[in-house]
Amino acid sequence: MASPRISAYLPPDIDPTKAALAFGRRALPKLNEELQAPELLTQQRALMALCDLVHDPEKVYQAIALGFLDSLKTLLVHQDQTVRQKTTEVLSIMALHSIGREGLIRSGVISALTGLLDDPVDICRKNTHQIFDRLAKLPEGAGGVLRAALIPPLVLKLRTELDEIQELILETLSNCIRVEVSEALAAGALTVLKEKLSHPSAAIRSKAAWVLLEISSHAEGKIAVCKEELVPALVSLLEDTEPEAQVNSAGALMFAIVTPQGRSSAMGAEAIPPLLTLVAEETSKARLNAIKTLTLLAELPEGRKALLDHRDTFQRCLDDPSEAVQRAAEIAITVIDWKP
Amino acid sequence: MVPTRAPELTAPADLPYTFYSQPRSLGSRPKYREQSNAAEKEKGPVHHCNIMIDPRVVRGNVLSVRHPPQSTEPSTLEAKRQRRAQKQGLARKLTREQIRTGTPEPVEGREHVHVQTELYLEEISDRVIEVDGECQTDEFLDRPPTPLFIPAKTGKDVATQIEEGELFDFDIEVKPILEVLVGKTVEQALLEVMEEEELAQLWSHQRAFAELRNAEFAELQRLEEQDRRIREEKERRRLEHLEKLRKQKETAEKIAARAFAQRYLADLIPSVFNNLHESGFFYDPIERDIETEFLPWLMSEVEETLQKKVLGRMMLDSLIRMVVEKRLDEFSRLPPSDQTEAPAEEPRETDAAPQVSGEADVADQPIEEKEETDQLVDEE
Repeated sequence: MASPRISAYLPPDIDPTKAALAFGRRALPKLNEELQAPELLTQQRALMALCDLVHDPEKVYQAIALGFLDSLKTLLVHQDQTVRQKTTEVLSIMALHSIGREGLIRSGVISALTGLLDDPVDICRKNTHQIFDRLAKLPEGAGGVLRAALIPPLVLKLRTELDEIQELILETLSNCIRVEVSEALAAGALTVLKEKLSHPSAAIRSKAAWVLLEISSHAEGKIAVCKEELVPALVSLLEDTEPEAQVNSAGALMFAIVTPQGRSSAMGAEAIPPLLTLVAEETSKARLNAIKTLTLLAELPEGRKALLDHRDTFQRCLDDPSEAVQRAAEIAITVIDWKP
Repeated sequence: MVPTRAPELTAPADLPYTFYSQPRSLGSRPKYREQSNAAEKEKGPVHHCNIMIDPRVVRGNVLSVRHPPQSTEPSTLEAKRQRRAQKQGLARKLTREQIRTGTPEPVEGREHVHVQTELYLEEISDRVIEVDGECQTDEFLDRPPTPLFIPAKTGKDVATQIEEGELFDFDIEVKPILEVLVGKTVEQALLEVMEEEELAQLWSHQRAFAELRNAEFAELQRLEEQDRRIREEKERRRLEHLEKLRKQKETAEKIAARAFAQRYLADLIPSVFNNLHESGFFYDPIERDIETEFLPWLMSEVEETLQKKVLGRMMLDSLIRMVVEKRLDEFSRLPPSDQTEAPAEEPRETDAAPQVSGEADVADQPIEEKEETDQLVDEE
């Protein structure tokens, strides 16, 4: 008599690279013991099994409550590269969950990861930077990264690392700089970013512009940006093919030209025409930033004169579906029409 | 435990065969051990000896190699047995010798010698040729697994054959398996994709928020900057205005002060001059000259003249006095002669007159000297 179940036994778990999981609640404690076992193979298999388990937030919570992070921290400095790679992968998946992020920040994994920045294996470094990136998206995480004095090494790594990792570093830096900018300026981030603005990869260009945006949102950052003469570079980036880069460079300009020197250098770099093209494009994401930048430029007499001719562009923006753009357009028109 | 029997050492000589103890029927022995064995075995009441706690019972794996329990001194039972065995051996030997009819004793001077009379001589020695023979059981092997019991075949042989397609239809049967397989795979893939999508949504949401926030922040900074500029401008203008006011005030005060001072000082000069004039700072030199020099001199001259007059009068007074006194003397004395007196009076008068004049001159001179000294003092 045929039945759909061929055998009374469940199919065997034939993945030899993973450790066998105990049933139910015992799974994670047993994995914890296996992680601390002296044998290399046991540790590797336990890590593989852990990688799969950690996608579940409940398992993450349980793992952190059991104190997995301490055993993982000791494994970070293991000699075997598979162990290191898998450990960083586990930590990066943990950082995808909110509980994981909090746990990682609390247990000081960030300082333990600083040693892995110079790891010879690419994947380990990539995972490490992914962890930093994901952690830095939280304010506490950014604070943790700053406290671990990671900004100078990260800025150094920007010059030498692979492209993918550079993107991750740039994102991490942007989130950290939002909190505090002096360390990054001291580490000479502006010179590195100036080079990156002309990188062949579009993603790196846009991310570098985003970092500059964050830098120039602080007062000392603005002064430094104007001093390093990054405004002409940003203006040239406004005509970039990548829309992200346009958005970010418009945003960076928006912050940088609040200072009078910035405004004069922007006028000198003839920022108005590309900004106007950005505003005129109906679907551009950079509209908001471009309108704000033009508002700032309109406070200068020459700017106002130039923009009076293009007033109708702003009028058209008043009917924009996005409310923020409408408001910005109103403010821009007010500023343009202002008479002393 | 064997029952005790009395060993009998002597046996009747003519019987060809003896035994240690007379045959006797065994009495009924008690089912259980008696108390008399309590001394040999140090055990308490051993009526009901549990086989489980009996130390003599071998415990554990009976198939393993087991060494006999070692004891430093033989237990009393062992000693007794050994002694009994020795005695029995001795008894056996004695009886054997007594049974054999021995040769008579050797005559004097002779000696019996044992000689072998068999065909083949054999060496007789005390030392018994011993051959050691060992016997050892093999190592206890694990009991091999019991072979499968296959009962003998009984019954008739019958054969059958399953044609293809009779048992099950593969395509139909495989469907559920496939469904499970594919379903699981797809489910896993969906989970992963959903996870990534969820994250991407979160990040894009965050990005959108960040953009809005940045825009607002920029607006805030712009307004701040504007505000700062305006404030600075206002401050500067206010300061300027204040400066202007201050200067104005200063100028007005200066003017007022000047006017007042002028007015105040207008009659200053006349009054000053008046005061000075009154205090004698401005003087007519001739007047002063007259006053300082001429008049004192005049006064001194006048004084001199007056003093001369006074002196003259004094002289006259003294003269008169002298005359009077002399006359008095003379009159008081007897008047010797009036003639002498008369001429004496005349010379005296003439004497007195030149004396008077001489005295007057003399007096003038000291007076003049006095005047000179006075003038000298005055001039000094």
